[in-house]
Parts: sequence; structure tokens; C-alpha cells
Amino acid sequence: MIKTENLTKSFGKNMVLKNINVTINKGEVVAVIGPSGSGKSTFLRCLNLLEKPTSGKVYINGREITDGRVNIMEVRKQIGMVFQQFNLFPHMTVLENVTFAPQKVNKVPAEEAKKVAKELLAKVGLTDKENAYPSQLSGGQKQRVAIARALAMKPEIMLFDEPTSALDPEMVKEVLDVVKDLAETGMTMVIVTHEMNFAKEVADRILFIDGGIIVEDAEPEKFFSAPESERAKDFLSKIL
Amino acid sequence: MNLDFSQIVPYIPFMLQGIWVTIKFVFVSILIGLILGTILALFKITNNPVLKGFANAYTSIFRGTPLILQLMIIYYATPQLIGYDIPTFLSAILAFGLNSGAYVSEIIRAGILAVDKGQVEAAEALGIPYRTMMIHIILPQAVKNILPALMNEFITLTKESAIVSTIGYLDLMRRAQIVGADIYRNFEPLLFAGVIYWVMVFILTKLGSALERRLRASD
Repeated sequence: MIKTENLTKSFGKNMVLKNINVTINKGEVVAVIGPSGSGKSTFLRCLNLLEKPTSGKVYINGREITDGRVNIMEVRKQIGMVFQQFNLFPHMTVLENVTFAPQKVNKVPAEEAKKVAKELLAKVGLTDKENAYPSQLSGGQKQRVAIARALAMKPEIMLFDEPTSALDPEMVKEVLDVVKDLAETGMTMVIVTHEMNFAKEVADRILFIDGGIIVEDAEPEKFFSAPESERAKDFLSKIL
Repeated sequence: MNLDFSQIVPYIPFMLQGIWVTIKFVFVSILIGLILGTILALFKITNNPVLKGFANAYTSIFRGTPLILQLMIIYYATPQLIGYDIPTFLSAILAFGLNSGAYVSEIIRAGILAVDKGQVEAAEALGIPYRTMMIHIILPQAVKNILPALMNEFITLTKESAIVSTIGYLDLMRRAQIVGADIYRNFEPLLFAGVIYWVMVFILTKLGSALERRLRASD
């Protein structure tokens, strides 16, 4: 479903990702963890080309999206993304945030888009907020709207870029619960996170990235109890 | 003290007509400046080097030379090239519109760039095409950043409009000079014109802050 071949990304002379080769299968929930500055967010952002890889290839559903001839906008429609800073559209209501892209991009009729949006808002527990503006919501509520907005495009893959890092501690759970529910539906998900307990509980697989390479690629059970590399051991000893 | 305002009384209707003449040409100039400025601003933020280069060169030239020079080139010098005279009104709106376009493009460019980068990323991640993103997501947010500076530009334009008197356009300023020459007294008509300019700018300022308040209400 997602495959990278020698994925490399440099910012100037700084090589952030070095020859990443990884395959993520349909329905897999992958947690990407690692120290800050390790390249994990960059890795995620290369998967929908928000960052353009310096070299290497990215395949989505067998199609090489790093090929210049591929219309990346078409590909992005199938990949939902949730950001650390939510990035809701502040001048639109919650409902408009969720219906905008389906209507404008997928040409879904207004009524239909509204119906789907309301279902999604119900799913994330925000039925009563559909006419509120983002500035009137708490961080946790904003992030749940952002998840609903991404899901409204009916994506096959969801990417989460540290979805709880900008939240007050008491709001982390409400967002993680939504992500967890989503994982149980069989959605293919890649989640960059610092929430180790969450990663352990929800992910089928852990990618531990450090210094721009995948140092460890293992099942959560194994990774958290018996990491192989020194770097992973060191990292876990600092945060657990 | 040798002031006698009674002498300008017969000329007041003549001078007041100048208000309308000034407003008419300032309004058209603002419109031209706004449309041109928006287009140039969009050129400046594209990745197309030709459009970008053009917009930057345009801004550099129109901001880097005196407005009065631009006005005189259009009114006095261009007929030499094209073979027919350009009417004063047309010269005035061309000079002010083209000049204002340069300033407005900078204001709009800065306003667009001040919109959080995350907005572009969110739109891109949803597969929203560039045009749709600009019109429905970026520009509505940029307006709030742009409005105060834009209001300033309109106020400047209104005041600077007085230099069209140099090409004989019968605006408020020119009329004050004519009256002064007629009655051999300059202080009274010029003071009268000054008050009118001040009132016009005052009204514009009030309109601007009212508009700003309304936009801020949605925050």
C-alpha cells in the first residue's frame, strides 16, 4: 500500500532522511517514534509529498507518486493528514471545515457532504459544535474536527503528525480515543507520536527512527520489552 | 492679520464641485490600483520566474520614481510617441492607478505571506487545487492583514491626488489655486481646500476602523 525505496531528503547540506526502505501494508497501523529532529515528521510528510524527496521513490497503491507525471493532487485525495497544529480553516465553521474539500474537490453535492460531515462529527463526539468557529473550540476539539475533516474525503490512508503534541495533557485522551477507534476500523495509518503507551496499545508495528534511518522495525511488544539496538534502548530508558 | 473669508464666498460652489471631481478620479484610481495590485501580488508569490520578475520590476520602477514624474510622462510626454493627446482625467487615473498598483501589490503580497503556512499545507493535503485554495482559504484570511495598510494607501492616494492640479485637471486643489489667482488672496482658498481634504481623510479613516472592527468580530 505504501512503499518507499531509498527515500532520501536533505535540507541544504543537512541530510534528514537517509535511504529509507519500508513497506506498509493495507490495514496496518504503524507508529513512528524517535527523538526530536530524527526525521520522523519529514518521513511522514514525504509520503504525501508535502516534502519533496531529494531522491528515492514513494509508491502509493503500487503507483510511483514521486514520478513527476503523476498528478499529486489526485493522490493526496486518498491520503488524509492530521497536523500537530490542527490547521483548521479559521474563517469557516466546523461544518464548513469538514464539507469544504469533499464539495470542492470530489464534487459531492452539498446535502450529501453535510450528511457525511454530520455523521463524522457525531463519531468524534462534536455534534453540538457544528456551527462553532475553530477559535471557540479547545485544542482537543479542534484536533477531532481536523480528523473528521480528513476522513470526509474518504481516504484509504491516514497520516498523523504528532496529533497530540500541541494539546494540554487533559485533552490528549479524547483525541487518542478517536484515533484508536479509527485504527479498529482497519484503516491504514501512519502515526508519528511521542505517546509511547498509545503506540504500544494501538500500533501493529513500531518504526524507530533516529538520525534519518530506521533503526528498528518491530512489533510493539518486542520493541518495548526487548529493543535490539543501543539507540532504542537509550531512547526508551529516557522516556519510560 | 489680513484675512477676509467673505471674499471666497461666491467661489464656494465652484470649489465644492472640486470635491466630486477629486472623489471621482481617486475612486477610479483606487479601483485600478486594487485590481492591478492583486494581479501583481499573485505574480509575486508564484514560482514562475517570468511573472515574478515582471511584477518585481514593475514595483521597483513605480515606487522608485516620483509620482509627479509618472504623471507628467503620461500627460506631456506620451503624446509625443503615440501622436494624440491624452485627456487629463485619463492621464490622472492612469498615473495614480498604475502607481497605486505597485504599492497595493506589496501590501497584498505581505498579507498573503502572513497567513499561516499550515493553511496551505492543510489545503494541499486535502487535494484542494491552488486556485480554489487561494480564493476560498488564503485570500479571505489575508484580507484581515491587508485592510489596515490598504486603508492607509487610500488615504495617501486621496491626499496625493492634489498633484494632478499640475496638469490642469480641475480638482479641488486646482480650483483653490484658480480662486486665489482670481481674488489675489491665496490663504483663504487654500485653507478652505485644506479643511475639505482633512474632512475627506477623516471620513475615510472612520470608515476604515469601522470595517476593521467588523472583520475582527469573527475572531
